[in-house]
Amino acid sequence: MNPIPTELAVDNGRDAEQRDRKQSRWLSGLGRQGGRAMAVAIAAPVVAGALLVVQAWLVAGVLGEAISENVGRAELATSIALIVFIFVARAGLTYLAEASGSAAAEAVIQRVRLALFAKVLGSRPDWSAERASGAVSAAIVDQADALEGFLGRFLPAMIQATLLPVAFAVVVMPIDWIAGLLLFVTAPLIPLFMALAGWGAEAAKRSEAVAFARLSAYFADRLRGILTLKLFGRAEEETRAVMEASEGLRQSTMRVLRIAFLSSAVLEFFAALGVAGTALYIGLTFLGMVDMRGDVLTLQAGLFCLLMAPEVYQPLRLLAAHYHDRAGAKATIAEIDALFEGLPDLRAPVSMVTAPVVRTGGDAADIVVSRLTVRPPGRSGAVLDGVSLIVPAGEHVAIVGESGSGKSTLLEAVARLRGYEGSIAIGGAATLPEPALREKIAFLGQRPRLFHGSIADNIRLGRRDASDEAVRAAAERAAVTEFSDLVPLGLATPVGEGGLGLSGGEAHRVALARIYLRDPDLVILDEPTAHLDAATEERVIDGMLGFATGRTLLVATHSRALASRMGRSVRVAGGQLLPVLGGRKERAVKSGGAA
Amino acid sequence: MSALLHFRWLLAGQKARLTLTLLLALTAIFAGIGLLGVSGWFITAAALAASGAAFNLFVPSSLVRGLSMLRIVSRYGERLAGHDATLRMLSDLRGWLFATLFPKLPLSLSPRHGDLVSRLTADIDALNTAFLSAAIPLLGTFAAGSVMTLVVFLLVPDAAPFYAAVFAISMFVVPWFLIRSTRRAGLAMVEQASDLRGAVLDGVSGHADLVAFGLTDEALRSFDDAAGRLAASKRATARRSAAAQALVQVCGAAAFVTVLWIGLDALEQGAIGGPTLAGLLLAIIGSFEAPAMLSRNLGRFSASAAAAGRLRDIEVSAPRVAEPVRPTPMPTRFDIAFDGVSFGYGNADVLSDCNLEVLEGEHIAIRGPSGSGKSTILQLLLRLYDPRGGVVRVGGQDLRTLALSDLHRRVALLEQNAPVFLDSVRGNLLIGDPAADDRKLWQALEAAKLADFVRSLPHGLDTMLGETGRTLSAGQARRLCLARTLLSPARIVLLDEPTSGLDREMEYAFLRDMEESLAGRSVVLVTHAELPAGSGMRALTLKGGKLEERS
Repeated sequence: MNPIPTELAVDNGRDAEQRDRKQSRWLSGLGRQGGRAMAVAIAAPVVAGALLVVQAWLVAGVLGEAISENVGRAELATSIALIVFIFVARAGLTYLAEASGSAAAEAVIQRVRLALFAKVLGSRPDWSAERASGAVSAAIVDQADALEGFLGRFLPAMIQATLLPVAFAVVVMPIDWIAGLLLFVTAPLIPLFMALAGWGAEAAKRSEAVAFARLSAYFADRLRGILTLKLFGRAEEETRAVMEASEGLRQSTMRVLRIAFLSSAVLEFFAALGVAGTALYIGLTFLGMVDMRGDVLTLQAGLFCLLMAPEVYQPLRLLAAHYHDRAGAKATIAEIDALFEGLPDLRAPVSMVTAPVVRTGGDAADIVVSRLTVRPPGRSGAVLDGVSLIVPAGEHVAIVGESGSGKSTLLEAVARLRGYEGSIAIGGAATLPEPALREKIAFLGQRPRLFHGSIADNIRLGRRDASDEAVRAAAERAAVTEFSDLVPLGLATPVGEGGLGLSGGEAHRVALARIYLRDPDLVILDEPTAHLDAATEERVIDGMLGFATGRTLLVATHSRALASRMGRSVRVAGGQLLPVLGGRKERAVKSGGAA
Repeated sequence: MSALLHFRWLLAGQKARLTLTLLLALTAIFAGIGLLGVSGWFITAAALAASGAAFNLFVPSSLVRGLSMLRIVSRYGERLAGHDATLRMLSDLRGWLFATLFPKLPLSLSPRHGDLVSRLTADIDALNTAFLSAAIPLLGTFAAGSVMTLVVFLLVPDAAPFYAAVFAISMFVVPWFLIRSTRRAGLAMVEQASDLRGAVLDGVSGHADLVAFGLTDEALRSFDDAAGRLAASKRATARRSAAAQALVQVCGAAAFVTVLWIGLDALEQGAIGGPTLAGLLLAIIGSFEAPAMLSRNLGRFSASAAAAGRLRDIEVSAPRVAEPVRPTPMPTRFDIAFDGVSFGYGNADVLSDCNLEVLEGEHIAIRGPSGSGKSTILQLLLRLYDPRGGVVRVGGQDLRTLALSDLHRRVALLEQNAPVFLDSVRGNLLIGDPAADDRKLWQALEAAKLADFVRSLPHGLDTMLGETGRTLSAGQARRLCLARTLLSPARIVLLDEPTSGLDREMEYAFLRDMEESLAGRSVVLVTHAELPAGSGMRALTLKGGKLEERS
């Protein structure tokens, strides 16, 4: 078997750059979504920085007076008490900064998640059908977490790194202008060198994030089908393949990290030079080997400079430590941008309330399809090519044709679940607001989803306020009770995500029962009797036709039994719709050429 | 905690790398402490020295430079070695999970299958980070605390007990408080994340259903609730972690002020020199960097421990069917026999006193109402379950006496929900027979009526297929899985609704051709399809838990 594909799409340089800039702008805009908590997370460390200066001055003063002027500790008690107070205040500020940073980050992440999920649900179902559900859930649930480090740690660190080093250097200046100048000049140089080392790392980091996402998808995919792999005797090979893929990722990651860590080593190097230089300069000044000041340097002043020197570089080190948070967030944003085809606008609130629709009419709706063309993305050619179809109100029509010919595509287009060219009018209206449309049409897809909950919960998706009796009646009509009555919990039996635990035919019937709780003008069913034996199929068809009386019914099917009970049949073949006159004759012609 | 210890073999596998990481971490910690201490001592001593002539400048200034460089190099090495070890452990863990899962299959776990998958992957990641983020800093902190206590004891003996006590609080008590107080939120977080994941999976896979029923707003609301619950747990954890960090800072302050207070007294007594005291105090500030880092990293510890617990549960769970201790060699004939087999999933029996005989090379079809237990017969033949009563035999041997891998090699199954893997068409087919050449692949595709479609694909056999074969229609995915099963060299082929993705004409052609393409192999076919006229296949009907010959 192939290992995971690792080739990366080579971007067109300018587009990539533009996209990159847009993503960076979106990312920096995230901070503004954090509100007051974000402001506190940013301000608290700056205040703590100011307190640090006072603390360093007091510590240097106590030591200086005690050591060089032999002042007794009783006289220093006030200063020491003040030092204790500042220590505790700074600890409080640490708590404040950390806690509000996280609060802000989580609030923003929740908004991002909601906006992304709204984007999924707001697009047409064929959009999400093209996407791997695992990749979407990984992006929304797992990858969105990468923003936490960026918002809660990187952003505050960036503000600190911009303000504090310069401020600290300026504070040292009046004490000793040489030391101050030394710090003032070296600190701003550091980001420059870091950027030089960091650029390479960032590009590498991004490709690594892609590889990581691919590996995760591969790992999850193999886990999902692990029973099949076992039955085919692939246990050892697959275990080895998973480990090999993981090992490959380790090697590429280590290549990235060797460079990435270098940028922080560069920073440490310059910070060390700065601190050592300050220490040496002050030591030499004390010894009288260097004399560039007019007056005598006190021990307090010297110690103060020494205490402040590492603090000048500390915000930069902090920034470097969280630099990967930004790289991780950028990689995530790029992934999300690609997967969701654009980044969501967070300023617009997500609407989650629908105005209830007042049902009017209740008559069967006619369908007029004219010049309908559907080109699924990623496939050459049209599946349906300029087809037209008229279904009078109340008629029952079977759509037949080979599998893959476009039956489902036609039904999905009529149900407005995928994009198309041409026009489709239902009940005389070519455009209907979404809620009204959904009241009018009932749709059962080829692979209906059973949601996490009981069988009854799943049926009740059709109508939330349906009574137990109504649910029971719908279940009986769809022949669900035939199997649910055999288990102790009956309709209260939980069914899992993905419909595991029910056979294909059973899951389909549960989904069919949903429709019986509604009052649609048009019923669209995609292979409603797949996986059913002849006797059950007959009962399901009886129920279906009973419900569809007085409604328009459109059914895609392979089943002769079902097609024969519709008013007429239409065949989809070669992107066209052909009338089926004598079903038997048609089949005789076709059976020879079936491939 | 005990669950984490269960995985200590992970650490043992990387012993050399982890030892190196620890040594480098210790070097970095001590270089950092030493650097501060030496600088403080040097400056104070220089200030007190009368003139430069009497002062040995060379030793302290080269110590300052040397320690700086040492710290940089060891920090770089530590991070690199640590990440290397982590990633190696991740590979080991993933391999472990597969190696552990395979013999346990089929798992009798929760039905939320998609959730199980993402939970397993998240658990693996969480467990993997636990060791490095906890073990190395804990050991490093312990070493730093011990050495500094000794130094304090030598220089300011009266302050040593205070320093040791405060350091111990920041190293043991604060992390313990942190781990304990985040345990519940950590557990909740895992549940909430999987709820959220479930909501997304429901939304993506059930998108058409939600839209069709106008339920998207409701789905959004319940998603937002789930996201809010997760965010609240994360905030709670972060608050505790922040409190722990603040506490460590307070401990550092207490240690500093205590040593200062007692040290000043010692200075007045002349028990300690000024420069030494200054150096010591700066070193004490430096020594609390290690426990601060420990507390920063421990926020995720509870989640990791919970993940370890769940993974251990998988390892210690008994498989649904047990391997025979001393398996009988595989028989040379492959006749199938069910002797009075009864079986059920819950209280009700699906099969009761069910008998079946299939001679080697014979093809039979099993029919019957949906849910009557047809698939169960196939699962019993692969020993995915053991019968409650009666015996299932292949070649006269009770299945329970045969090695499972031997059995699986001889029996191939097309399941009703057979997966298409994230792989090429070829990769998907080769699972059935890794040794198959292109000619055999095309043969299988022809038999499954998918050859024309694959020929029309841009890269033919090498076309990549999306997750769960989403780029294929339901029928095409079904046929690909059928082709895979047909490729298997197994002597017994079990087909569960092989034609559910085919239209009537293709179904007819497949069933007609099957006799030839699977000639010589035993076939058990579960189907609703009508058998072609003149088919020599024996048809049985499953009714009331028993198989009946159809007239």
